[in-house]
Amino acid sequence: MGTKTRRWRWPALARHFAARYEGSLKKNAQGGSQPIEALSPAHGSVMDRSPLGFDQTFSGAADDFPSLLRRKGLLGPAGIGAVTQTETRQQMWQPTEATTILAFKFSGGVLVAGDRRATAGNTVVYDRADKVLEIDRCSIMAIAGVPATAWEMARVLEHSLQYFRRTQLQEMSVDGKVRALSKLLRDNFGFAMQGMGVVVPIFATYDGNSKPEARLYFYDAMGAQFEATDYAATGSGSPAVRGILYYENNWGAKRLHEFNEEEAISLALRALDTAAESDTATAGVDRTGKIYPVIKIVSRAGIITFPENKIAAVFKQMVA
Amino acid sequence: MIEEPYRWVEAISNRREYIEGQLASGSPIAALGYRDGILFLTLGQTRQKLFEIYDRIAMGAIGHPGDIERLRMAAIELASTEGFTRSSADVSLRRLVHYSLSPVMKNAFEQVYGPPYLARMLFAEVGSRPENDLFLRVEYDGEIATNGATYARARQDFAVLGGTRESSELMEAFLKTEHKPDSSFDAAVKSALDAWSVGHMLLQGNTDGKQLPMRDVITQHRREQLAIAAIEAAVLERDGNTTIRYRSLADKELRSLISD
Repeated sequence: MGTKTRRWRWPALARHFAARYEGSLKKNAQGGSQPIEALSPAHGSVMDRSPLGFDQTFSGAADDFPSLLRRKGLLGPAGIGAVTQTETRQQMWQPTEATTILAFKFSGGVLVAGDRRATAGNTVVYDRADKVLEIDRCSIMAIAGVPATAWEMARVLEHSLQYFRRTQLQEMSVDGKVRALSKLLRDNFGFAMQGMGVVVPIFATYDGNSKPEARLYFYDAMGAQFEATDYAATGSGSPAVRGILYYENNWGAKRLHEFNEEEAISLALRALDTAAESDTATAGVDRTGKIYPVIKIVSRAGIITFPENKIAAVFKQMVA
Repeated sequence: MIEEPYRWVEAISNRREYIEGQLASGSPIAALGYRDGILFLTLGQTRQKLFEIYDRIAMGAIGHPGDIERLRMAAIELASTEGFTRSSADVSLRRLVHYSLSPVMKNAFEQVYGPPYLARMLFAEVGSRPENDLFLRVEYDGEIATNGATYARARQDFAVLGGTRESSELMEAFLKTEHKPDSSFDAAVKSALDAWSVGHMLLQGNTDGKQLPMRDVITQHRREQLAIAAIEAAVLERDGNTTIRYRSLADKELRSLISD
């Protein structure tokens, strides 16, 4: 009899405490200061899970950062969208696009360069866009395609790698990083099919583990990854750039991987300027506005971003 | 057992006693603000006790590894999603601890039919200047202690985490006389090691906790312990040029700094 009463009272007491707790939370939430997240969802995810439920996910192994974001409703669902697009809609609305990025291996690592133009159809939207983005201390993602998607993708990737390092207490492997970007591209493929949000990135990173060297990868819009041995270029101006890089690598004075830093910078500038000559979506070097491409290097030392005055000096001396 | 209020109070106090007993043997952790950042330091044999939480936030903890892990994960999740949706600058240690961790820990502690968190944590957030550094200690019952000035004491540029209240207090008393907020990295390492030794001596019963042990006794204890344990240390750098400020330090790197 006694035990029976007890059994009935425990949940009642639990409810009592829960109610008291909720009440105090609400009071706090109205108190002016803002919690780090809207309080109820934050608590939902931290506390509402039973310890057992917590245990299943807390290793983080099954729960990468994008799925954490989805669980909290902060990222759109993955998969191929079902929305059918019509011809008229595509004609009516032109997404902003970024164009022409290139990367090649030279004596000092991998050089990654991108022009600065963003366009929507035949309109120039922006002439100082940065398409060469740093993901972590030794990785660069360069983007051609729709910046709205690409920048968000870069942001997710950057946070994914940090989240992995912090939770798992080790760096993600190069293969893991390459695959993480591939997965983001595949998740975005539904949008790409609808004609908005196509992103074709290049990924360069330093692999300090197995055989230390800087590595270079390029992707297609669906997420297939290809490792480049010498060079990669994507975007609307890429046919011209690929022609130049192929020519230089095979019949130039020396192979690309023998280029020194200044030669590499000047080749990148020449290639982008050549692409701009026939492709209106690529800016090349803006001689009047003094706007130069963004050029970064991935090497053992991490990432080096060349300041504009250095690029300008090389341009003046070796290109113009 | 807990139908009546006084039974509940009794259950709570039993639970407090139990947790204090479990945590008492934990190796202390010292966190010191110095000119170029914040240094976390402890000595240990096996488990990692210092962790990166976010760009400018680090954590040290004493307790059950399973509980520490759950709390650490929760803190990283909250900070990462906040940093992703808003920006890194919007992730604040004060909000993380006051609004998310503390209520959760208090709740777990007071629900006497569920398990409490067997953990005590020390967080630090590096500021742009030493006076902006924030240290927060969170107890298993959700209680929070900060380094901020109160009516009873001046602002401190350090914080400690000990297995017992007495060992924490003794370490604080030591650092109050020993540590200068604008000190160099080398000086901070020495002060942190000595503070750790003071706290550790009390845990081992080598000192009574009423007053600080003598200088040479501390040095002696430190030397003995360094021979059998590894130094675990990390810094949060003040340098504003990088976003990620956390860097763990190798045992070797630090041993070369210790001369005596």
